Amino acid sequence: MAARGRSRRTLSFSVDSVGINRGESLPPTLQQPTPVFPVMEQKPLPLTGGEEAEYLLALKQDFRGAMRSLPCFIQPAAALRDVERYSDKYHSSEHTDGLMDWTPDWQRFPRELRIHARKPARDGVSVARSDAQSAQKKKKKKVREKEEVLIKLETLQKKEEQQSEEDDDDDNTEQKKKQEDDDADGDEEYDEEEFEEVILYVTCDGSNQSVWTGSGLTEGSVLQETDYIMSYFDNGEDFGGDSDDNMDEAIY
Amino acid sequence: MTAQEVRLCGLLLHEHFGEVVEKVGTHLLRSGAQNLRTIIHETGLSVDLVKKSLMVLVQHGACLFSSGRKGPGSPTEYRSGCDRILRILRYPRYIYTAKTLYGDTGELVVEELLQRGHMTMSGTVKTVADRLTQNMEEGRSMDYSEVSSAFSKLVETHFLQRCPKLAGAGTADSTSPAAGATPAAPGTPAAPASAIPPTPESFPDCYKVPHMTLVGRGKRQLAAEDGEDQRNAKRQKMDSEAHGDEGIYWQVNFERFHLHFRDQAIISAVANKLDQTSSEIVRTMLRMSEVTTSPAATCTKPLSANEIFRSLPASYNIPRPILDQYLTLLVDDPMEFVGKAGESGGGMYVVNLHRALANLARATLESVVQERFGSRSARIFRLLLRKRHLEQKQVEDFAMIPAKEAKDMLYTLLSQNLVQLQEIPKTPDYAPSRTFYLYTVNQLPTARMLLQNCYKTVANLIERRLFESKESKRLLEKSQRIEAILASLQASGAEPEQLTEVEEMITAPEKQQLDALKLHINKLDSAENQVDETIFLLESYVNSTATSTG
Repeated sequence: MAARGRSRRTLSFSVDSVGINRGESLPPTLQQPTPVFPVMEQKPLPLTGGEEAEYLLALKQDFRGAMRSLPCFIQPAAALRDVERYSDKYHSSEHTDGLMDWTPDWQRFPRELRIHARKPARDGVSVARSDAQSAQKKKKKKVREKEEVLIKLETLQKKEEQQSEEDDDDDNTEQKKKQEDDDADGDEEYDEEEFEEVILYVTCDGSNQSVWTGSGLTEGSVLQETDYIMSYFDNGEDFGGDSDDNMDEAIY
Repeated sequence: MTAQEVRLCGLLLHEHFGEVVEKVGTHLLRSGAQNLRTIIHETGLSVDLVKKSLMVLVQHGACLFSSGRKGPGSPTEYRSGCDRILRILRYPRYIYTAKTLYGDTGELVVEELLQRGHMTMSGTVKTVADRLTQNMEEGRSMDYSEVSSAFSKLVETHFLQRCPKLAGAGTADSTSPAAGATPAAPGTPAAPASAIPPTPESFPDCYKVPHMTLVGRGKRQLAAEDGEDQRNAKRQKMDSEAHGDEGIYWQVNFERFHLHFRDQAIISAVANKLDQTSSEIVRTMLRMSEVTTSPAATCTKPLSANEIFRSLPASYNIPRPILDQYLTLLVDDPMEFVGKAGESGGGMYVVNLHRALANLARATLESVVQERFGSRSARIFRLLLRKRHLEQKQVEDFAMIPAKEAKDMLYTLLSQNLVQLQEIPKTPDYAPSRTFYLYTVNQLPTARMLLQNCYKTVANLIERRLFESKESKRLLEKSQRIEAILASLQASGAEPEQLTEVEEMITAPEKQQLDALKLHINKLDSAENQVDETIFLLESYVNSTATSTG
């Protein structure tokens, strides 16, 4: 571009108005991007300390820590390992328990966000059926078994006298029923641990949406439906991998 | 929604809500309004996870949903905005302000609401009472009525507001969506959601405390064994009888906090520039106009000198003529914080809010240039701000800097885009020898540019902090385990030798490393807080110009 002016050494802008005098050379052209961490001529000012700043810092760190333990902190299932393990089946749903603590007010959310409860199958009947089928089936089942349910409820309730009286979320809709699947089978398993702690609501209109709520079960074995406590499924991969610095103590 | 903002929002979501919510959130930020199926398809996550993340985002106000663009039958669309997520940076400041104004109870109320997003009044009161009881000595507990009164005070001063009833939510689609909170609304049958979601303030009941029957005291969580603990925890959840305020959710009113911060910034600026008494006068004026001034107002309503004199705090008994002198001083000050609007009532005075914000932003820009390039470059910058357009020669003369250095500094500023070049042609063909080249500074675009720099800075700080923690992850985990062991040993009453033995499991160099790590992380966190103060100033300035011109 500078050579366009008929082999005259003129530049595209007027030299004096921008301030370059004769004889001074232009600064060297830049041929690569500027460095990522350029050297700073002036050092930056130090941070303001003081009581307020420290208190704000403490508040911030506490807030972050608290958010991690709340139900709104969603973590996906544990990361994939290189090889599939048998214990994965039992470990994967452990993490989702924290979410059961939060009962959202469904009036404030769009309908499509409702999640169908994935209650683990107690008697081999899988809950994960398609809605169309289950709508039909459950409706018929409900009508037949409502009376049975009520009778069983009363007996069970009497058994639970030393436990708390009311169910969770009593202020919810009036269409509250206990899930029929469980009651259809033997209820001995219910008395001790499960029954009073997990309650699902099934609406009786045609839509059949079960709202997911309930208090967290503490017994890992019950939730995963095995006879063993969850630490039975630890496959020993975590052991000994932590601190190998201290070689004084031998690891057996 | 610039790239820097989206990046920062992603990091904030990741830290506070986990990586699933981050993925969904950043996708929404980048792509605008989308319906559920598209989100599931494009993020590649499972349906359940996407639904849960959307619920978390809606719960915290970061995402809004409305019925689709094609009419009431189309699927709901979700859209998200950067502003709300960027507020997360400011949460510590909100909590601290609540503490200074309303004590520990207010602090915990605001903290609970910030953590949960939306909550009912009864839920908040119970949780806060329990937390306060936890920290009190044995045998004492916090009464619910104290917490309720703190809550009501926060609502009266508009720091908390009701959540607007969202259209399109709920069970049936046919019922009128916006019922409930607006008894005044006429029976518009099933009106589809308008293009703009209703602001909380459009509902007349926005700041009305509901009548609630809530009697009791906070419960202390006892350290019982597991079986008993289960039952206790269950019992606490069980007594959630209806308290008369179902369906009324509260959220923190960020705008009100921002007005408070703005007032504080003005007062401290006056205190720094003039003196304590002038700042007290300005504080009185702002306090008197708190309720009468709308949030977007350019200046407060005029106040007469008599009124100001009467409302000054009792500890400042300045005689009336001295007050007049102070007011005249404030009006004459070049920063133009206070203006005179008339002569009645001993002189009518206003606080120029927008002009004060512009001046504060200008001071911020000048200080940035000074700290980065030196005081002489700052002199040139200030000169250009005052004189608007100057030629190269004039800059050298006015700034009294030798030509070569002035040229150098100008070019540095130009390359950093803090100074712009304006061409004024003498002839229509823009010939370079016959064109004036003038240097100029535009305050608003420069402020926007610095604001984006601030977002980038905070994002870099967060990333550096995450990097440092990841580097020393093993060490951190080890120290956490040892603390847990120590705590359990102490709780079960062990002898000091056992405790020292456990403590020695961390070697001295490791301890040094841990201390250095802690220092770095604290510094980075503290720096984030301070950059956020600059972000607040620049954002307020940019928003104030938007409302006044647009």
